[in-house]
Amino acid sequence: MTGAPREPQGAGSDDGTVDAGNDVRNDVGNDAGVSGAARQGGGIVATGLARAFGPVKAVKDIHFTAAPGEVTAFIGPNGSGKTTLLLMLASLLRPDAGTIRIGGLDVVEHPRDVRARIGWMPDTLGVWEALTAREILVAVGRLYGMTKERACERADELLDMVKLTPLAKQPARVLSRGQQQRLSLARALMNDPAVLLLDEPASGLDPGARIELRNLLRKFAAEGRTVVVSSHVLSELDEIADRAVFVADGQTVRDQSVHDVEEQLRGYTIRGLDQEHLLRTLSDLGVLFTVPAGQRRPEALVEASSELQAAQLLRELIDAGVAVSAFAPSVGALEETYMSSVYAAEVHRMTSAHREGRNPEAGQ
Amino acid sequence: MSDEKAASLGYLSGIRTVVELELRQRVRSKSWFIMLVVWFLVILAVTALAAYSASPLVLGTAEAEQVGQMMFELVISFVLLFGLLVAPALSANTITGDRAGGTLAILQNTLLTPGQLLWGKWLASWIAALAFLIVTLPMLAWAMSYGDVYLPAVPLFVLMCAVELGVACAIGVGISARSTRPLFAVVGTYLVVALLGLGTLIGFGLSLSMTQETVTDYEVVNPQDPYANVEMDENGVPLDENGEPIEDEERFWREFDAEHADFVYRPEDEICTDKPIERTILHTERTAWMLAANPFVVVADAVPTQPAAAGQDYAPEGPLGAVQVGVRMAQYGVDGPDCVNGVRQPEPSMNPGEMPPLWPVGLGVQLVLVGLLMADGRRRLVTPARKLATGTRVA
Repeated sequence: MTGAPREPQGAGSDDGTVDAGNDVRNDVGNDAGVSGAARQGGGIVATGLARAFGPVKAVKDIHFTAAPGEVTAFIGPNGSGKTTLLLMLASLLRPDAGTIRIGGLDVVEHPRDVRARIGWMPDTLGVWEALTAREILVAVGRLYGMTKERACERADELLDMVKLTPLAKQPARVLSRGQQQRLSLARALMNDPAVLLLDEPASGLDPGARIELRNLLRKFAAEGRTVVVSSHVLSELDEIADRAVFVADGQTVRDQSVHDVEEQLRGYTIRGLDQEHLLRTLSDLGVLFTVPAGQRRPEALVEASSELQAAQLLRELIDAGVAVSAFAPSVGALEETYMSSVYAAEVHRMTSAHREGRNPEAGQ
Repeated sequence: MSDEKAASLGYLSGIRTVVELELRQRVRSKSWFIMLVVWFLVILAVTALAAYSASPLVLGTAEAEQVGQMMFELVISFVLLFGLLVAPALSANTITGDRAGGTLAILQNTLLTPGQLLWGKWLASWIAALAFLIVTLPMLAWAMSYGDVYLPAVPLFVLMCAVELGVACAIGVGISARSTRPLFAVVGTYLVVALLGLGTLIGFGLSLSMTQETVTDYEVVNPQDPYANVEMDENGVPLDENGEPIEDEERFWREFDAEHADFVYRPEDEICTDKPIERTILHTERTAWMLAANPFVVVADAVPTQPAAAGQDYAPEGPLGAVQVGVRMAQYGVDGPDCVNGVRQPEPSMNPGEMPPLWPVGLGVQLVLVGLLMADGRRRLVTPARKLATGTRVA
């Protein structure tokens, strides 16, 4: 634990990059067992994926697995290759190198069989503006080979689920962005997919709809589906992701499960009714802390290397009679990792690119 | 989940869904109806003008019975012309538009195959184009009301127009599938359609000079023809027995006509002289295939013409009839030497019914072109996509 003010940028970019490399190798090794399970269900196993658009290498080397019953999040900055990766998973783009197996099927070799099992929600909203929400869903259902009756039934079910039933007869062009987003989700679910691929599903949603989306995704995972979500809004992923794949510059920089996060060094913010008492007790316990300046309410920042250690500290504070009103991680778990690995890798890349005198902004 | 139910999508049912999607959007857009109304008014104006200009009022003759065929063919020509202008607009945006709107990737992500997508889009744009043809039926009926329209040709005229609109739509859909920008697809389609409509004419015209051949021919005379035996001076003034120009030319011809009133010119009486003349012959039969791919030629040539009255050459009454005679003669290569080895060569018939048709060649050329464009377009729709144009995203 350190008493220095937390400066994420200073978290040792070199270390972060080296760690990231190790993590990837470890995870791929461990996943040998997982991939067997993933083959039976709808899981995804991707190895060594690369894809370039002309001179731009959008995806360079991505490995990951997504298991059925779990929500896997792709986390990375803009232009890190998330969308390209999802397009490859959705069987629309052919990887230059590497393989993707969904439910044991190679995506490039059996795209049609794979498509029957996946539901894909793109980041750009494709909407037939003149058609009604219901017509769009029914037409998509028909394109999955459903009978008209079955497609209508399924469309009504899903419209109800995404709370668009009152707007079912409206042309799609009158729907707001958030409503179109929900329609897009319903569309992705028409074929009752075993694997759901969602590209930035929460963008444009109001807070209520975000919470609903979160519950839906958890529900899908609980039903045994494989759910893959990409986003750069970390707070929304924190609550739903079982596993996070951190992507930067077209590469997997870290692949971790929520269990790993629990064992990770994290900063905690503590607030007491009596700030004096809190700080004195922390000193007595030999815990290093910082007091951030310019906060509206006084608080103390500490670091704990695991959730167990954090829990112990809380108990000790309470045992010492401190009236603790708040004790929580300073930032989300994923943000913590993002800062320590992705951001570090980015900074490292930018500085080394700067040294080599080329343009690092050539994103996707 | 989806594993237990068999994932299958019938070929025709996929096409039908795409057609339904397309038509539903088309029917709900206002611009489509505005276009139809404008179209109707333009064709109505053209028909009315044709009726007026071919009426006895303007021609000053009482031959009103000839007006119907002329009007009918004029209307068909205009419908085809405007149809060829509308069809690219209807078809060239179907796939690029979906690409730009982000809906193409959604379709590709279902069980739909690239072939189903192409067929569906083509069928939908063709149906939309046929609506324009159907709107013109009242004007065709108007022309037919004159009573002299050759009825066996009517269904074929309409059918061939429909086929040509289908060809134009297929060109549009094929180009649309391979291009990433809507503007490029529309302009490209217009250029290809213009290549067929105008380029074939220009190509044929320019190629004529290359088919020229200078041959030695011999003068042909008809000894039975009293008119050919009248001696004239260099100004065309007839000469009397002394070789002097006749002063009262008018009276001479009047008397001459009266004297030979029962003369019938028979081409078989013509004989070759040994008086050589240099002649330039155009071998149009070598380049007529270029004209064949012209949509107007295909329509005009595929239609049966009114049989000529016995002993007379066929005289086209409308523009399309004239096109048919013209292209069939061009293909036949009527421009041969009159005399070979001192023997008079028979004049080929002017009756199109006796010359081989050109339209199968034309339709064949068009279908090959369409096939190439569609195959190229299909390649671009195959997913997972290998190649993407720079600056485009699939979603």
